[in-house]
Amino acid sequence: VRTPVAVVIAGKDLRQRFRDRSALVLGFAAPLAIAALMSLAFRGTEQFHFTAGVVNNDHGQMASAFGQVITSKEVKSVMATRSYDTEASARAALKHRSVSAVFVVPSGFSQSAAGAHPESIRVLTSIDLQLAGQVADSIAQSFVTQVNADRLSVATAVTAGASSGRIAELAASASTLRPPLDIVSRPSGSHSLKVISYYAPGMGIFFLLFAIGFTARGYFVERRNGTLERMSAAARPGQIILGKSLAVLVYGSASLGTMALVTSLLFGADWGGPLLATAVGIPMVLSVVALTALVIVLARSERQAEGMASIVTFGLALMGGNFVFLSTAPPLLRKLALFTPNGWALRAYLDLATGPHRWSTIALPVVAMLSFALAVSAITAILLRRSEVSLS
Amino acid sequence: VTAATIARVTLRRLARDRTSLFFMIILPVVVIVVVGASVGGFSRFKVAVVNEDSGRLGAGIVSALRHSTAIDLHVFSTADAARTSVRRAETTLAVIIPRTTSADLQSGHPGKVVVLGDRTSSSFEGAFTAVSAAVSNQSARLQAAGFAAQQVGGTVDDHLGEADRAAASTAALQVTTSTIDTVRQVLPEGFSYSAPTMLVLFVFINALAAGAGIIETRQLRIYERMSAAPVRRRTIIAGETLAYLSISLLQSVLIVTIGATLFGVSWGDPIAAAALIMVWALVGTGAGVLSGTLFRTPEQASSIGPALGIGLGMLGGCMWPLEIVSPLMRTVGHITPQSWAVDAWTILLSRKGNLVDLAPQLGVLALFAAALISLATYRLGRRLT
Repeated sequence: VRTPVAVVIAGKDLRQRFRDRSALVLGFAAPLAIAALMSLAFRGTEQFHFTAGVVNNDHGQMASAFGQVITSKEVKSVMATRSYDTEASARAALKHRSVSAVFVVPSGFSQSAAGAHPESIRVLTSIDLQLAGQVADSIAQSFVTQVNADRLSVATAVTAGASSGRIAELAASASTLRPPLDIVSRPSGSHSLKVISYYAPGMGIFFLLFAIGFTARGYFVERRNGTLERMSAAARPGQIILGKSLAVLVYGSASLGTMALVTSLLFGADWGGPLLATAVGIPMVLSVVALTALVIVLARSERQAEGMASIVTFGLALMGGNFVFLSTAPPLLRKLALFTPNGWALRAYLDLATGPHRWSTIALPVVAMLSFALAVSAITAILLRRSEVSLS
Repeated sequence: VTAATIARVTLRRLARDRTSLFFMIILPVVVIVVVGASVGGFSRFKVAVVNEDSGRLGAGIVSALRHSTAIDLHVFSTADAARTSVRRAETTLAVIIPRTTSADLQSGHPGKVVVLGDRTSSSFEGAFTAVSAAVSNQSARLQAAGFAAQQVGGTVDDHLGEADRAAASTAALQVTTSTIDTVRQVLPEGFSYSAPTMLVLFVFINALAAGAGIIETRQLRIYERMSAAPVRRRTIIAGETLAYLSISLLQSVLIVTIGATLFGVSWGDPIAAAALIMVWALVGTGAGVLSGTLFRTPEQASSIGPALGIGLGMLGGCMWPLEIVSPLMRTVGHITPQSWAVDAWTILLSRKGNLVDLAPQLGVLALFAAALISLATYRLGRRLT
């Protein structure tokens, strides 16, 4: 049985590709190295936790109630505390980043809390540690709010007609009140996103896009040195294009597959399981195949092919979110990403990494990528026919 | 033939290459926009809210969340949409105000606010604390009105007005928050982060990719023809080095100009900035010429070069601030020249530093430049023989 011509051509292209150091570096070594780098960079930083300094200049009843709040079980998961004798030493600690915020309970705080001119709790923050500062402020606010709610309850009761002679009794009664609004925390039903689960596919797809460049360039090199002419003696143009597309498909799948396997096993990236990951990967690789053919048809020379491919590669990678985590970007950028096949692929991998591993999760992205590949192929076919580009 | 003539020829060849121009001008600008728009929001928690309650209470809670300085609020119409935004990490958590919240309170039951999120995810607890504080504010007036109703009769609604009046006349306990420093130790967010870091990233990447030019010249045997001119080896090396220095400087000036005019980036003390740009251009020059002698084919230089540049940029704090990575990676990052350059820009932009403040970073970068240029000229010299 004779091997189909397209397969022979694909085999030749693949042999060439795997002998080329740049293709191996770009398809395998570089994405793995960068994914490893990202995994290391963000290891241990996926939890937000900080230490706050506490300066208690009061030691009264209210100050100790505040002390209990800031060391309570609920607060401990986000903040630890460290006591300082003086405000100066706590400020120095904040300056040197030993602590990320400081609470100062002023002298006379407990006594003044019952009177008409209560003293304030002070929170000291640093300009570079705004998030810790905001959380420290919120923790102090939630304590103060409850105290104020109790004070306000007494004042409202008196305004509404309760006898002002009963203030002590009212205050005691108000301090036992339960807030009328319950905050109930429930799981969102999704997995927490690991940085590597986003950037492993991100980098894998980014380096996959480089295949457009070296395949398109390779085509023009073959045309220059006569290989293409010799091939067309034995094969029809369609078979040559099919063979070359097949080579990109195999190379791209091998590159993305290796990335998925290695990052899943070594760094715990969640690609959504072998079947679903492949179902997303194949239409992405097909889009790359379609784009490669388009660049070949549009370009007139090796240099032009290289230039166009670079622009397509970096343009898509930037728009699709391979470089930056688009979830933190403005909605407009997130919408723009959905004009790119890699944007859809990344959306699918993100949904698989954070949600259920279901076919319905990836259905829309797969359809979108296949539509992209089809549309690009149709444009390529029209251009090919119009310009009557001859392969020979 | 002088070094300047050789440099001019190299530059002219580069200017004709449209791809190089894309990498030099368009790509950095687009990256500045994308990274500038995305690197931000570290100072507030992104919170989704869905208000299913048509009563006054629901609107009050939304307003309290909106006024919290710790919260960047995103309003969604359905719980599913809010849940998806949490899952995709577009928001840290979602606050759902159920349909019955106001009615529950009317009937004397506690109202309920549901917070959806993953407790193990980064920043959940912080965001939860901020939401609790905002919701508690609403809770206080309801508690007061309810207490009054309990003491003197009537309904919660009857006493809400009195609660508001009492709140206005009662001095409340306060929390005062103050910042102990005014000078940042890290780069500001937005374009002031992306413009200087992308300058550092792209000058280096372009220099590495431009190494393809030297390889092409070698392959076309132009150096051999030059030597027959006769031109001394030293002149050829000086010419190529001058060309790469000009490319790096040109690109830096472009990014600085675009950053200042389009994105309002203030580049700090001009003398210190100029010195930093010059030293970084020298680092790029060394890396570019070295790339021209290390890689075998132009394709290797123009494809592996950028990958290497991106990797070093990530390590050095060009893609994200090193303040958010682990301390170990922060230390490791400082083996790259990029991290020293980003540190120097931080001193310039955030701490309004001058040439003297920048001396340690400039010194380290000068050493990198000297090492790279020495190695590059040594290798180029050997290639020419």
